[in-house]
Amino acid sequence: MWYDIFKFEIQYRIKRPETYIFFIFIFFFSLAGVDFVFQGIDMGSVKTNAPIVIAKAMAAVTAILMMVTSLIMGVSVLRDYQYNVESLLFVNPIQKRDYLAGRFLGSFAVLLFVFTGLLLGFALGEFMPWRYPENLMPFNFSAYLQPFITVVLPMLFFGSALFFVSGALSRNLMVVYTQGVLLFVPFLLTKSIKNDFLQALLDPFSLTTLTDMNALFTATERNSMLVPFSGVLLYNKLFWSFLGLLILIIGYFKFDFSAAKNKTPEKKKINTIYDLNTAADENLKISFVLIQYNFKTQFVQLLQLTWFYFISICKQVSFWAIIVCALIIILINSINLNIAYDVASYPKTYLVIKELKELSLYFFAIILIFYSGELIWKEREIKLDLIYGAASISDIIILLGKFLGLLLIYIVLILSLIIFGMAFQTANGWYHHELDVYFYGFFVEFFPFLVLYTFISFFFQALTNNKFTGFIFVMVFVILNTVSEFFGFEHDLYKFAGSGLGSYSDMNGYGHFLASYLWIKAYWIALGILLLILASILSVRGTETSLKKRIELGRQRFTKPLLQFVLALLLVFTLLGSYIFYNTNILNQYQNTAEELKFKADYEKELKRFEYLPQPKITDVKLQVELYPKTRAYTVQGYYILSNTLKEPIYKIYLQKPLGPEINLEEINFGREVFLDKHYNQYGFYIYTLKKALQGGEAVKMKFKQTYTTKGFKENDSNSSVLQNGTFLTNKAFPTLGYSKEHELDDTRIRAEFELPPAKGMTKRNDKTELTYAAAGGSADLINFEVTIGTEKRQKAISSGILQKRWTLGSRSYFHYKTDKPIVNQYAIISADYEVSKSRWYPKNNSSAVPVDLEIYYQKGHQYNVERMIQASKLSFDYFSANYGPYKHSNIRIIETPAYTQQAESFSGAVTFSESNEFMLNIDDQSDVDIILYRTAHELAHQWWGMQLQAANVQGKNMILETLAQYSALMVMKKKYSKEKIEQLLQKEQEVYLQAKKRYHKQEVPLELVEKQDYIFNTKGILVMYALQNYIGEEKVNFALKSFIRDWNNSNGILKSKTSNYPTTKELLTYFIEVTPVSLRHKVYSLFEKTKFDYI
Amino acid sequence: MNSLNISNLSKTYSNGVKALQNITLDIPVGMFGLLGPNGAGKSTLMRTIATLQEADSGCVKLGDIDALKQKHELRKVLGYLPQQFGLYPKISAQVLLHHLAVLKGITKQKERREIVDALLHKTNLYEVKNQNLSGFSGGMKQRFGIAQALLNNPKLLIVDEPTAGLDPVERNRFYNILSELSEKTVVILSTHIVDDVKELCTNMAIINKGEVLLKGNPLELINQTEGKIYQKTIHKNELQEYKKEYKVIAEKLFLGKPIIHVISENNPENGFISVNAGLEDVYFSQILSSSKKHL
Repeated sequence: MWYDIFKFEIQYRIKRPETYIFFIFIFFFSLAGVDFVFQGIDMGSVKTNAPIVIAKAMAAVTAILMMVTSLIMGVSVLRDYQYNVESLLFVNPIQKRDYLAGRFLGSFAVLLFVFTGLLLGFALGEFMPWRYPENLMPFNFSAYLQPFITVVLPMLFFGSALFFVSGALSRNLMVVYTQGVLLFVPFLLTKSIKNDFLQALLDPFSLTTLTDMNALFTATERNSMLVPFSGVLLYNKLFWSFLGLLILIIGYFKFDFSAAKNKTPEKKKINTIYDLNTAADENLKISFVLIQYNFKTQFVQLLQLTWFYFISICKQVSFWAIIVCALIIILINSINLNIAYDVASYPKTYLVIKELKELSLYFFAIILIFYSGELIWKEREIKLDLIYGAASISDIIILLGKFLGLLLIYIVLILSLIIFGMAFQTANGWYHHELDVYFYGFFVEFFPFLVLYTFISFFFQALTNNKFTGFIFVMVFVILNTVSEFFGFEHDLYKFAGSGLGSYSDMNGYGHFLASYLWIKAYWIALGILLLILASILSVRGTETSLKKRIELGRQRFTKPLLQFVLALLLVFTLLGSYIFYNTNILNQYQNTAEELKFKADYEKELKRFEYLPQPKITDVKLQVELYPKTRAYTVQGYYILSNTLKEPIYKIYLQKPLGPEINLEEINFGREVFLDKHYNQYGFYIYTLKKALQGGEAVKMKFKQTYTTKGFKENDSNSSVLQNGTFLTNKAFPTLGYSKEHELDDTRIRAEFELPPAKGMTKRNDKTELTYAAAGGSADLINFEVTIGTEKRQKAISSGILQKRWTLGSRSYFHYKTDKPIVNQYAIISADYEVSKSRWYPKNNSSAVPVDLEIYYQKGHQYNVERMIQASKLSFDYFSANYGPYKHSNIRIIETPAYTQQAESFSGAVTFSESNEFMLNIDDQSDVDIILYRTAHELAHQWWGMQLQAANVQGKNMILETLAQYSALMVMKKKYSKEKIEQLLQKEQEVYLQAKKRYHKQEVPLELVEKQDYIFNTKGILVMYALQNYIGEEKVNFALKSFIRDWNNSNGILKSKTSNYPTTKELLTYFIEVTPVSLRHKVYSLFEKTKFDYI
Repeated sequence: MNSLNISNLSKTYSNGVKALQNITLDIPVGMFGLLGPNGAGKSTLMRTIATLQEADSGCVKLGDIDALKQKHELRKVLGYLPQQFGLYPKISAQVLLHHLAVLKGITKQKERREIVDALLHKTNLYEVKNQNLSGFSGGMKQRFGIAQALLNNPKLLIVDEPTAGLDPVERNRFYNILSELSEKTVVILSTHIVDDVKELCTNMAIINKGEVLLKGNPLELINQTEGKIYQKTIHKNELQEYKKEYKVIAEKLFLGKPIIHVISENNPENGFISVNAGLEDVYFSQILSSSKKHL
């Protein structure tokens, strides 16, 4: 008997178009499955078709497709109730066992068929044009089949069992739609399990499980070996399969095999009440109502419908299930404000908002997709549609009411999130709630996207006239909209919904990003309204459902006022689009990523030959900077003195303008006759031939004027240096000399596309030219620096050097800085509305050293760590001046920069810290590492390692600059904190190092040859230096460093003054070796020259 | 008062079924019965009048309103009770009635409350107005259906098989409401129950397979058939023979034996006795002849 039901189920499904739609959807999705799951993840030397990669991608894709599983399995019993055939069916002599087994197995067979699309898609995906052959191994079908059987099938079985049973027991379509996605809730919950084994065991999608398995193997093994079906993976699969079986058994007993269930005694009682009261007032006259149909009527109708649908969603059990799940996720994952080393930030409103958005986004997406379908279909599902259709309400009002009802749901949820966020802040002792930031963060940054995608979802639901197809269309649309970016469709004018707003900054608010964001959102919302109108015209009213008929009917429904409105809206849409286009493409220059890459490739192809040509060095910089923060503009007038430090004469000067069409370089004047070759103007690369060559030892004064003008707004503006509050320019923002290596592409694969040779990385330690450069291009050694900055009155302008004078003129403030000693060519020009905290460091028992003025510039309200920074600076100066030599200047400034960068930077006499990082850290002295001290000491150490002593721009440069700064910071920490704290810090660093080491595939370079690998020069660096000072003692290390800086510092180094070369790690190591007893020397060598490293 | 004029209305479904063929009807104020077997096209016709379905050709006019083109205008004066409908389960009759009243443009709260209360009384749902609709019986649901159809004082009321599944008491009450309304309103009632039409309607039409077979006043139609109907009790196994020999328009069982009605201009003798014609006989004779025509 069960076999007949099984057969019937299969025959039924074979005829349904959904079956094939699902198959095709899964197939195409799986074609790009690996790329989708691993996009943006550095896989190292693991190939993209390694079995483990396939297994993980398959598991992830199956997890995403759990919704399809639910749609197939969940409806198989529900269907009988939906079409009211249950009473016909269940009176037949079918046994419950046969019925359920037949239905389950039949649906499961169909599910397996549909999911063969996954297997085929993945296998064929290997041959897609976007896969790079160098990342692939030879095709091996068993690498696909094996994980499909061991990983995917058990997942499908569990999902099938769960969805089948819940569908059969709940008999609620909404349960079927949502349960597939709600399965992510337990998955997310397992993320918070601390025990690795348990976490791997309980992960329903076995993603963590596979990651854990993965950790056991080397890269080669990962490529060559099938994922063994043993260990925790086996247990995981057994666990979930048994759970599935258990659910089936429970479902079997719970399932009530009778049709009479729906009639509850309660309802009969209502009938009784009625029957007793039959005395109807049949003679009652029905009053006459005057029906007006004007704007006010429609408005009242709209309000009524909005509220009605809002309430109707609120009454859904499934809605509350989603809310409860979201609540659980938010409560368990909690708001995580950790920045570094497990130290949290203060619960600033914008950080809380960011977290809340991330935690809830997934649930908003569920609500958006499913409830828009639910609302569109509501009347038809309960068969009230004909009554609705005959009422004299316009189509657009009905649809708009549903739309606004759903928006109202979002609004209420967002308001609850805001209340939750404020409660969280209050619970953490933070009472500065910033309601305006909450409003902007949710209703400006977030809500428009919900609105726009709701338009899309409504449109597709109306267009397809099939709920499932509607869901699939929406998802395909989202995928296409994302994927199209990779084909160059990046402009906000044709990328639906445009881009996000970028981060909020206390200093700069949303800055200049807000205006363009709002224009673009207005443009898309105009289109969204058009789509909604189109949806209302195409929506089903009555019994005509074919799209063709609806399009014909649509003409009739296009009434004259509606037509006028649509035309007006089209006009608005076009005008907005034109205005945006005018701003992004006419006032400004627009380049998509491909064009940007091509520009860089061309730059290199055309100009590489000018690299290393003899150039003078900048020895003096004098600038008159006028900043206009409000209009985001500046003009810089001034000069460089260029000296020929070489022996041979220089005939040509290669001047590189900072790139960008908004920057203009003019009035260039060398004080002698020159001939300008404009051939490379498009790269901002100007070649000046001096009529009279610049002889060795001779200097020339190059005057110039540089302007920056903001015109309108740009597409996807990434400029975060010229700002309304917090302008942050460095020496790189001004003209440089010679070919600029910084513009080169560094991704070997992209370079290959432009037929460029693979990136070389940093230069070898024996390169004669680069040894004389301390920075790429080597424009300068040391410079005399003088700057006058004018800015808005309320802002303070800061730079390197001593403040000579400060005055105001009209509505502007002026600041004149000048250095008393030559500095490294690393300076910053910063302007913002700052508070200042001042202090002074006095040298201890060293009368020859001068006191240093400490100044902290910070945003009002960000005073939390200012005192710590001052103390940290004092401790640092104590240690560094005692152990490495005196500080060269009489002041140091720590400056807060807007949240756009997290990075701290060092300049001559100045350090910048980010508002979203150091200035916001909330350090608990009991449990946390004092990151403020650590970071401050690190950055201040650069005043020695980087400012006093520069390293040659070759391999190992970062060991000299960064590793030594790390060591210096660690020693300052050691002075203040207990051994336990230091070990806590090192423990964290070690974790980071080991994790990074696993991720990077290439043979790890030894520390002395490190290039740009942050995890080596910073993370491993500190561990190595800690080991070194354990071997030979802190004093000896410091002695070596002191000698190193004595010999190699850039103002009067004993060895440095004899050569134009800068030191490398080769030199540094000789100092270390010198102070090491012979017996330990091999150990010290191996620390720096070998990669094998025994951790502490 | 406006009457409803249907002229040459045709509709063929995409599967080839001719649901309406050249239907022409003039329906004055009062109760109009639309009689026909299942699948005759009654519901298609009613949905087309009710702006919910498109016709291929033809014209439907209520006074000056072109029902096929000025849908919105028609809906303002339309009350429609579909053959099958459902209700939101989780709200009460009163709330839903208010909601539907707003949809029909009754946006003034006071007016709306008055008419909703009046209709609840009228349809005898006032006592249960706060009950959830999921608990309503078939009769209550049907009365709710009529209540919603009357919300906007319709000039045209279309009720599609309203009494299916109602018990006799419910049915009577329902018809009382309708007949009261029909004094000022065009009421179109579709049914396959002949007695309903006879009792209620001043005018009627019989349609089958999309065609109007007969239209007129029920009593006149009965008169036309009067004297042509004969009846005989026969044996079961004789039925086929009689069907060959006579125009058998109806057969029914009485105490387990078949009684047949035949239509004949002259007395067929042979044990047949003349009986008074009923609307039923008119109906069946029309259906029979239309079926023969199609064969």
